[in-house]
Amino acid sequence: MVVPIGDYVALAAVIFFIGVFGVIVRRNPLIMLMSIELMLNAGNLLLVAFARLWLQNAGQIFAFIVITVAAAEAAIGLAIIVTTFRPERFVDVDDVRSLHG
Amino acid sequence: MASHALGVTGTYPLVLTLWLLPLLGAIICWAFGPQLRTMSGWLASALVGISFVLAVASWSDATQGAGGTLGAHQPLASWLPGFDFGLLLDPLSLIWTFIITGVGFLIVFYSIGYMDGDRAFARFFAYMSFFVFAMLTLVLSDNFIGLLVGWGLVGLASYFLIGFWFERQSAVAAARKAFVINVVGDVGMMFAIFLIVANVHSINFGAVFAAAPALSAGVLFAICVTLFIGAAAKSAQIPLHTWLPDAMEGPTPVSALIHAATMVTAGVYLVARCAPLWDHSHGAQLLVGGIGAATALVGAILGTAQWDIKRILAYSTMSQIGYMIMGVGVGAYEGGIAHFFAHAFFKAQLFLGAGLIIHALADEQDIRAMGGLRRRMPFAFWVMLTAVLSICGVPGFSGFFSKDAVIYGALQHGHPWVYATDIVTAGITAYYMFRLLFVAFLGEYRGEAAQARAAAEPARRPHAPAWIMNAPVAVLIAPSVAIGAVLMFGGENSPWQRFFAPLFGATSSRAIALPPVSEGVTTLLVFITVIIGFAIAWQRYATRSAQADAVARLRRESERMPALLTNLLYFDWLIERLFVRPAQQLGALFGRVLDPHVFDGAVRDLVYWARWLGTLVRSFQTGLVRAYALILVAGAACFIVYYAVAAGVR
Repeated sequence: MVVPIGDYVALAAVIFFIGVFGVIVRRNPLIMLMSIELMLNAGNLLLVAFARLWLQNAGQIFAFIVITVAAAEAAIGLAIIVTTFRPERFVDVDDVRSLHG
Repeated sequence: MASHALGVTGTYPLVLTLWLLPLLGAIICWAFGPQLRTMSGWLASALVGISFVLAVASWSDATQGAGGTLGAHQPLASWLPGFDFGLLLDPLSLIWTFIITGVGFLIVFYSIGYMDGDRAFARFFAYMSFFVFAMLTLVLSDNFIGLLVGWGLVGLASYFLIGFWFERQSAVAAARKAFVINVVGDVGMMFAIFLIVANVHSINFGAVFAAAPALSAGVLFAICVTLFIGAAAKSAQIPLHTWLPDAMEGPTPVSALIHAATMVTAGVYLVARCAPLWDHSHGAQLLVGGIGAATALVGAILGTAQWDIKRILAYSTMSQIGYMIMGVGVGAYEGGIAHFFAHAFFKAQLFLGAGLIIHALADEQDIRAMGGLRRRMPFAFWVMLTAVLSICGVPGFSGFFSKDAVIYGALQHGHPWVYATDIVTAGITAYYMFRLLFVAFLGEYRGEAAQARAAAEPARRPHAPAWIMNAPVAVLIAPSVAIGAVLMFGGENSPWQRFFAPLFGATSSRAIALPPVSEGVTTLLVFITVIIGFAIAWQRYATRSAQADAVARLRRESERMPALLTNLLYFDWLIERLFVRPAQQLGALFGRVLDPHVFDGAVRDLVYWARWLGTLVRSFQTGLVRAYALILVAGAACFIVYYAVAAGVR
């Protein structure tokens, strides 16, 4: 059976906005990182879906690159979280605001 | 009509070497001064001496050929078409090279004794060598830009050396004044070069002079006048002469080499070099001849009122250069150059003789505090006496031949007023030179104060052997007495005239007027005024009654000196009022209004608005990551809505 493209787009949109919602609403950096991963994967889903639809493999390859970047980003993000919040027991991104103007 | 020399093209390594050797000396003395110590003086004088030997060796190269191929030409570099740089050694630059390296060698050698014990011994010789190099650049260049480069470099060397003792406030002020006035001249020369390039499209002497007859009279006059601004500043012609007496703040050998024998005669060289331009501009000849004669007179008058031995000599230099400028200005080139040649010897001798006295009297320069030196320093007395006889133009001495050639040249070229002024000046010259000689050398010794000062600090000057200073002066006596008789005797057929004939043509063909007075009568007139000047000096300073109460008489004379003379004819006063003060007031005005309110004001406004914008933008930077994310999303949403709507509308 062939899944219509509209379903993919709808699913990706739902996943993406769950991610957006998570980044904006949650204050725990770990959850925020996970939300960002959700958004990236929503993008990946679209890339792969359209690559399949238009029979162009560039999209597939690009999805791999995004996965790689996401992995690197998660590693760096986790490292930052560990160094920033090591002395604290609770983690809250709103406490880290030394860059405020 | 002066034919001009471009020089045959070829390579003349001699010329290149003699040009670069002094630069080598300067670099070595500058870089290794602390290691070389007194060796730096010997090295510098040796290199300048070798340059002189090479100059003599290139004599035949420099005088070969005629017309457009006269002299030895060494190309250096090519730039745009018509803008080639090179060295040219022709009879004119050869004469200057002889003086620069020959007299330069003697003076640098003398300095080994004079500067002995100075803390900056090596620095002095680095500067002296650098000056010789710069001056050679000036006279050897075959184009106007090379000339200007040399022109600026000698000004720089002069600045370094006037301010050599920079702990002295007065030396620093004098150096600055000399530099500023010289730069006024440099700017004048630059405008001359602009005019030349705009009208001839070349900077090379040969091409410019070949094009000179075709230029319009106005352009030619403008070029000559702007060139002469440079010449006047360098050669201390009124009204740009005020730096020269102040320049005596430098060490005495510097005064002898730079401010008497060579650098200050660069203006004479310039006018003689540009003879084809002056030949075609009667107005420029009139102007330069007139200013030269006026400078000769003013310098002589001011020389009568000085007490500082070096300042007397400085004003006499100014006056004698006035003669030279007048000579080359009116077209008597051989005469003007002859006077430069003779003057270089006897004036260097006067300065070095004065240096012997100053050195012996612990830097005493006031002739009122000397007196009776004839018995104490017989050698210095004979040195000064022969040089004074030469500068006054006593028959038989070098100055007699050269000065008569200049004075008579003025008449030959149709300038009777210049001629009359020059004869009067000759008398005044005799007066102030013999005044110097009588006050310093005759009568009772008045140098006890200086002697005591010297005794109080005996460790200050470890003395070099006296022969180092005496020998160069002794060598100078011969040319300053005899060079005129050897070279300049015999009118049109003298070796001097024949030497310059290929460059300037025959004098008789250039002379425009049939002189109403013969050369013999001129000599007689000059001699009579010299005798009068001598007699007045004798009567005032040398008679037994004048000697008896010399101290009181000299004090009375200095007290009763007319205000006109003590104020140096108000030249400094006038320049101060006309240029310095207005410039300072303009500067103050700019400092008060333009700078804070316009330039600084613009910058301050810019800063104010940048800060305002920064404050505004800063408020967005909350530091809350989630806020940033929200803004991102809002922005993205805006884009999506915009494109969705745009797509919907379409």
